[in-house]
Amino acid sequence: MRNKLLALTACLLASTASYAADPGVSDTEIKIGDVNIMTGPASFIGRAVAVGSKIAAAEINEAGGVNGRKITIVTEDDGYIPARSFQALTKLIEVDEIFALNGTSGTANVLAMMPLIEENNLPTVVTTAPNELVYDPVRPSVFTIGGSYSDAFYGQLKYIHENLEPENPVYGLIRQDDDFGGAIEHGYERAIEEFGVKDGLRVRFKKGTANFAAEVAQMKQAGVNVLANGGIIAGAANILGEARKLSMDMQVASVWSEDMPPSVNLSAPAGYDYLVADYVALNGPDYDRFMEKARKYASEEEVAAINRYTLVTYVGLSALAEAMKQCGQELTRDCTIEKLRGLKNFDTQGVAAPISFDNEQQLSGTALAIYQLNAADKSFKRLTDFTDY
Amino acid sequence: MRTGHFKEATGQLVALSDSRVVWFFVALLLAACVAAPFLLGNYQVTLMVSALIAVIGAVGLNMLTGTTGLISLGQAGFLAVGAYTNAILMMDYGWPVWLSLPAGGLVAALISILVGVPSLRLKGLYLAITTLAFAFIINHIILYAEPLTHGPNGIFVSGAKVLGVDLQRGKALYYLTLGTTVLVVLAALNIQRSRVGRAWMAIRDHDIAARVMGVDLVRYKLLAFMVSSFIVGIAGGLISLQIRFVNIDVFALILSIEALAIIILGGLGSIAGAVLGALFLSFLPEVIRLFFETFADSSSNFYTSYVYEIRGIAYGVVIVAFLRLKPEGLIGLWRDIRKYWSNWPLAY
Repeated sequence: MRNKLLALTACLLASTASYAADPGVSDTEIKIGDVNIMTGPASFIGRAVAVGSKIAAAEINEAGGVNGRKITIVTEDDGYIPARSFQALTKLIEVDEIFALNGTSGTANVLAMMPLIEENNLPTVVTTAPNELVYDPVRPSVFTIGGSYSDAFYGQLKYIHENLEPENPVYGLIRQDDDFGGAIEHGYERAIEEFGVKDGLRVRFKKGTANFAAEVAQMKQAGVNVLANGGIIAGAANILGEARKLSMDMQVASVWSEDMPPSVNLSAPAGYDYLVADYVALNGPDYDRFMEKARKYASEEEVAAINRYTLVTYVGLSALAEAMKQCGQELTRDCTIEKLRGLKNFDTQGVAAPISFDNEQQLSGTALAIYQLNAADKSFKRLTDFTDY
Repeated sequence: MRTGHFKEATGQLVALSDSRVVWFFVALLLAACVAAPFLLGNYQVTLMVSALIAVIGAVGLNMLTGTTGLISLGQAGFLAVGAYTNAILMMDYGWPVWLSLPAGGLVAALISILVGVPSLRLKGLYLAITTLAFAFIINHIILYAEPLTHGPNGIFVSGAKVLGVDLQRGKALYYLTLGTTVLVVLAALNIQRSRVGRAWMAIRDHDIAARVMGVDLVRYKLLAFMVSSFIVGIAGGLISLQIRFVNIDVFALILSIEALAIIILGGLGSIAGAVLGALFLSFLPEVIRLFFETFADSSSNFYTSYVYEIRGIAYGVVIVAFLRLKPEGLIGLWRDIRKYWSNWPLAY
C-alpha cells in the first residue's frame, strides 16, 4: 500500500512538474501575451495586431485548442514607449503569468523587452518589428517573421528596372536618419550597384519631419525619376504631395506601411501609382478566405481595423500554436522553443510565404511580393509572387 | 488642541522638522519602504522602482523650475545623457556601476552649463524653448555620434554588480533606487534651506531684486542648472539599469512634458509636492486599470474595443479635474488635510 501511495505521489509530481516550472499553462488554458501600441497616433497598428491574435486564437480554439487547451490572449498597451513595453511585459510575466509572447510593438520596444524575454526563456514570435537588431545576434527563444527593408527596396527597384523601364533613369533616395533608414539605403545601394544606374541624390531626414518641400525640390533639381521613398504614413504622403506640386513624373518604391488603408488614404490624392513590397497577401483568394474568417470571429469594428499587421500576427500565433501542438500534453517553454526552431514550411494558407525557422537567425517570412497601388480606386494589384531577394 | 509653534532660535527655523510626530511618520514610511519588496510581488516592486526614479527626476526638475523659477523642457535630454553615460562607461569601458552611475550625473551637470550659459538672459517660455532645443540637439548627437553612442542601435546594459550582488534585479535594484531617492530628497531639503536655496527662491520671486540684494545671478542660475541636471542624470542612469537597454526612443520628448506635469500637479517649489506628484502620476494608470478591471463589464464589445482609450481619457480627466479643483497641487491638499486634522473639531 505504501509503495502504491509513493508511486501515485511520484506520478502526480511528474505530471505537474512541467506546469510548476512554466507558468501560463493549465489543463484547459494557455496564456499568450501581446505587448502592443493600443494608444497614441500609431494605435491603428496595435489594434490591427490585436485583431490578428484574436482571429487566430478563435480559429484554433474552435478547432479544439492546442491539444485540448484553449488559447487566451492577454494584451498590454505600451503606447509605443520602450520603457512602458518593459513595464507591460513585467506585468504579463509576473501578474498574468503568460506562457509565450506574440506581437511585439516597435523595434526599440522589442529590444527594451529583450532582457526579460531572455531571462524568462519566453517563447517569442516577433511579428511587427522584423529588424536586424532583433534577430542579430540571435536570441534562443526569439523568432522573427518578416522581410527586411533592404530586400523590400531592392525588390521594388529591381521590378522598376526590369519591368517598368523608365527612360534615362535617375534614382533618388529619401530616408529617415536611423537604423530603419539605414536598412532602406542598404537595399537602394545594392540596386544602384547591381543595375549600374545613375544615383541622383540621397537625402536624410529626422524622424517626425512633416515638411519635405526642400528635400523634394532637391530631388527635382537632380532630375530624379525613380524615387525610393523612405517616408512612412504622413511623411510618405507629404513627400508625394510635394512631388505632385512640382509635377514630377516618377516611379516610386515605398515602405510596406504604405499599403495600410490610413496610409493609402493620405498618399493616393497625390496620384502616384507607387509600388510596395510586402511579406503578406494584400489581395487575392487567400486574402479573401482570411477576411471570411475575420468576419466570423471578429466584430464589425475589429474587421474595419484590419491591415497588414493583422495578417502577420495571425501567422505568428498560428505558427506558435503549431509548435505548442507538437509538444503534446507535456507543454513547456523549452519544448515550444525547440519545436519553433524546427518549424519548416508551415502553411500559412497563403496569407504569407510558408514559415520556416530552421535557420541560424530564426527568421522567416522573408519572401516579398510586389504590389502596385491604383491611386484612382485605392486598390493594389499584385505584380509578383512571394520571392526571396 | 495645538496652539501653534514658537521658535526661539534660528536653528529651529531652518530645522527639517521640529515635530517628533513628523519624524515618527517619516521613520514609519521608511520602514514600510524597506519592507515593501518582502510584501509585494515582483511587478509591484518594478512599479515602485519606476515611481522612485520618477521621484528622483521630479525632485531634480523641481530645484530648477519650482525653486529657481527656470522652466525647463530639456529633462528628457538630461535623462538621456545620464543613461547613455552610465551605459557607455559600464559596457564599453568596463567601469563599475558605483562609478558610472554618479559619472552619469556629473556629465549631465557639465553639459547643463552649455545650456545654462545661453539661457542666463532668458526667462519663461523663451527659456523653455531653449531647453527644448537642447533636448533635440542631444537627440541628434546620440544618433550621429555612432562610434561613441552606438547610434540608433542602442546599448544593452548588464553586469551592474557590487560585491557580487546584481543591482539590476528585484530587491537589489529597489534598494539602490530607494537609497538614492532618500539621499536626493535629503540633499534637496538641505540645499533648499541653505544660502543657495534661499538665493534660488529670491531669483524665482524677483531676479532684479535678488541681484540688488547681492545674489550673483550667473552663478546661482548655473548652479541650479547643474544641481538639477546632476540629479536628473542619476535618474537617467537608474532607468538604464532598470530597463537594461538604452536607445534614443526611450527618452522621448514627452518625458519632459510629463516631468513638468508631475511637479505642477505635486505643487511647484515643494519637494514633498514633487514626491507626491511623481508617486501620483506613476501609480495613476495602475489605479485606473484596477478600477476598470473591477467595475467595468469586461465582456462588453464596447469595453474590449475602447478600453485603452477609455483609460487614457480617464488619466487625462483626473489630472485636469485635480488641477481645476486644487490648483496648489497635491501638497495644497496635504496642507488642507493637516490643517483640518490640527484644528479638528473646529472649522477653519
